[in-house]
Amino acid sequence: MLAPKYLPLVAKQVWRHRTRTALTLSGVAVAMFLFCAVQAMQNAVAAATTARSKETTLIVYRENRFCPFASRLPEHYQQRISEIPGVRSVVPMKIVVNNCRASLDVITFRGVPSDKLTMPGGKGEKFRFSAGSMQEFTKRGDAAIIGGALAKRRGFRVGETFDAAGVTVTVAGIIDSDEAQDQNVAYVHLEFLQRSGGLDQVGIVTQFDVKVDDPTRLREVAGAIDAAFEHDQEPTATRPETEFVARAAKDIIELVGFSRVLGLGCLAAVLALVGTAIVLSVQDRIKEHAILQTLGYGRGLIARLIVMEGLLLGIAGGGLGTLIAVAAIEWRGLSMSVEGLSMNVTASPSLVIVGLAGSAVLGIVAGLVPAWQASRRQIAACFRAV
Amino acid sequence: MTQAPINGQAEGGLEPIIRCRGLTRTYIKGDNTITPLAELDLDVARGEFIALMGPSGSGKTTLLNLVAGIDKPTSGSLRVGGVELADVSPSRLAAFRSEYIGYVFQLYNLVPVLTAYENVELPLLLHRLSGRERHQRVATALQLVGLADRHDHFPRQLSGGQEQRVAIARAIVTDPRIIVADEPTGDLDKESAAAVMALLEQLTAEMGKTIVMVTHDPKSAAHASRVLHLEKGRLVVQDERFATLAGA
Repeated sequence: MLAPKYLPLVAKQVWRHRTRTALTLSGVAVAMFLFCAVQAMQNAVAAATTARSKETTLIVYRENRFCPFASRLPEHYQQRISEIPGVRSVVPMKIVVNNCRASLDVITFRGVPSDKLTMPGGKGEKFRFSAGSMQEFTKRGDAAIIGGALAKRRGFRVGETFDAAGVTVTVAGIIDSDEAQDQNVAYVHLEFLQRSGGLDQVGIVTQFDVKVDDPTRLREVAGAIDAAFEHDQEPTATRPETEFVARAAKDIIELVGFSRVLGLGCLAAVLALVGTAIVLSVQDRIKEHAILQTLGYGRGLIARLIVMEGLLLGIAGGGLGTLIAVAAIEWRGLSMSVEGLSMNVTASPSLVIVGLAGSAVLGIVAGLVPAWQASRRQIAACFRAV
Repeated sequence: MTQAPINGQAEGGLEPIIRCRGLTRTYIKGDNTITPLAELDLDVARGEFIALMGPSGSGKTTLLNLVAGIDKPTSGSLRVGGVELADVSPSRLAAFRSEYIGYVFQLYNLVPVLTAYENVELPLLLHRLSGRERHQRVATALQLVGLADRHDHFPRQLSGGQEQRVAIARAIVTDPRIIVADEPTGDLDKESAAAVMALLEQLTAEMGKTIVMVTHDPKSAAHASRVLHLEKGRLVVQDERFATLAGA
């Protein structure tokens, strides 16, 4: 550890070599910005696809289909599913998207029976309205409740009418929700959405969201649902929600998985940048360190001063990059969507902590070798060398 | 003034502050072994002002560096302030330098990104002093060298003479027992050199500091109480009357 009285000395060394410091900080900031962006995408994938021990939601889809346009299930399955032991509630849902491919800006309509949103314990109970209300939604047939991330991304306001995928709706409310999927969709009345697609769509839904009583019986209930429709015209494939997202968004998840390499590359870049800056700085200051040693500064103290310089550069550059990444993510309100499913890219507190801690550790590591080298030099030899 | 015999040993019963016996330093350079200092015996009493003279390569700076604890003897004994420097570890040697030695370089060697004040404060950071105490000491040292009004100037904003006076303030701010100066006037004009020498003389006369100074300049050497001549690493003559001769 370095006594606090030496910190101003280190800070002055960094601050008063402004050009070198600015170049190093900007490089570190860019690298940490990229790292945090990649990390945020990975967090989004993990949040949407990692199975939770208390998970109680099953998604019933048409067997062997993954696109909402291809999954067509009769709405009347709802009754039979609700009678299966262990099922607490069933919500039929029609999904229409303006873009089926992987994208950062997809509008997804979810048609849900109004009573499933408004009833006690219904899906709408978790909504926190930041504008508009559920009453506004129930008043109009073309009303839509918009997720906060979608509203932010597209700049939608209550009362505004917009059109996507051939569906025209009026915004009745904007919500926040703890559910990732709710943040990026427009909830509309089921019948309205079915009729928007033509008369042949009436009575047809894309999927059923099924809540079970006991999380430990999730697989058992899924098996029972699929068994019930095994010999029907439209057989089903039922999976826990996280597993369903993981299968449907496999392509995007693989891409994001590969970006882990990019993230590691960014960390290596931070290490190289701070390391280079410190090595050059130490080379420039061989005589200065010899002077400090002549004044009585021990080798260990010289080494700690250099490591602290690395730490300062790491934290300052990394902190800057992390803050820019957080600001950019918050400002853009990004979400990765595919097949009507969304993975919210958010700047969580843990992202900030990882960014800052990572920069600090890399700054220290980058300073270790130059610090060791500087501390091994003989004073007299340093004066002879310069 | 202390009389000293030709073998370089100070007279009197007091323990000398610097005591060399058979002091030798050798370097390996390529295939050659260089011996800048060979079998030197020397005593320096407290409060003495010693000037070391001699041609280049005679071992003056080597002796200075050994006394200052920034180099270690190859053989022989070197006791400074009662500490046998040949035996101490690097960390104890650093503590020794901080406590006993103030070093004045020919090229000032101030840290360029620090102000005069901050340069003088550097050695004080090693001591257990409050911020207020450090401030008082730095202010006093800068006052003593006549640069109190330049405390916030960076080295590039000072003249050579002013830089050297800041370096002297840095050397004395911890109140060390010994000041070692390596050609302190070597890079200064006549006027600045005279001011720096007057300052060093004042440190001996008024503050009782022991000064060991390397110089090529007879006029600077004339300020010393004893002048030692080195040649090929050996003490060849010491002449305290040199001051009179040089001043003539």
